[in-house]
Amino acid sequence: MPLQNYVILEPGKPERVHFSDHHLERREISDPKTGRPTFRNVCVFDVDEVNGLKTPSQLSVISEKLFASLEPYLPGKEYLNYDFTITKVGAGFTTSFSVQVTPRK
Amino acid sequence: MHNGVTMSIVPFKEKAVGSRKSRQVETRMLAEYLKETYSKYTVISKVPLGKVPEELMAEVGYKRALGMSRPFRPEIDAVVALPGALILIEAKVWRIVDGLAKLPMYQSLVPFTPELRQYRHLQTIMELVVAWTNDNLEIMAKNAGVRVRVFCPPWIDEVVKAQHEYWTPEYRAKREEKLKLRKLYDLE
Repeated sequence: MPLQNYVILEPGKPERVHFSDHHLERREISDPKTGRPTFRNVCVFDVDEVNGLKTPSQLSVISEKLFASLEPYLPGKEYLNYDFTITKVGAGFTTSFSVQVTPRK
Repeated sequence: MHNGVTMSIVPFKEKAVGSRKSRQVETRMLAEYLKETYSKYTVISKVPLGKVPEELMAEVGYKRALGMSRPFRPEIDAVVALPGALILIEAKVWRIVDGLAKLPMYQSLVPFTPELRQYRHLQTIMELVVAWTNDNLEIMAKNAGVRVRVFCPPWIDEVVKAQHEYWTPEYRAKREEKLKLRKLYDLE
């Protein structure tokens, strides 16, 4: 079984993460419903801690809703000073995200 | 494969996710406000409020009951945990009075909210974050015990201007033209 290198957000399951870096990408994806190729802008965060454990992994943010909550912490990599507890709520078009931002001590 | 979606990375030059300013306006405004105003404190966005039915908890367990009841519970935009107070925040660009009216209702649910159990001992403060205010809003807010905070980053002006233009004859003509072209080329 391969090691889990991605943080996968599951509905109702909070994931507490700490970001160490980020970059922006434009990805070509195959739409799972139509099968057509399409482009999506993605913010990829390097994660060094997941739920309090030192676990190098990545979190890819495609959702505009989630990105809108995280965007103010990108300039100057201010996210380094915070832990983010992200809970996905619902699925499909009604998906939303609860984000708890906690300053690191 | 990632989350069931095949991907390949191509060079990316433009602004990333959220580049369309008409999208997630209130979420962005709130996130920026929280970052600027309460950067030293724990903030939680999209918090469900109110009771979870005890029968449901007994039947399916606490965690599952929280998840199952979530779509039926009111949700506040954000809460901020200060050392001596819990701030309840609604952020509005449009339908400002709706935000104002919701806050006292939401406040009444805080003592019954399992997710906020650890903050029940704190005094609650209601805060309405808006891009602009007016005298009548201030009067109503004062009467409802809500404090109003005006937060208007420059990008909100662009969004509001675009919305106002939406109803002008010029914009409507342009939009009709665009819709015709979409139909012509069979675009969604």
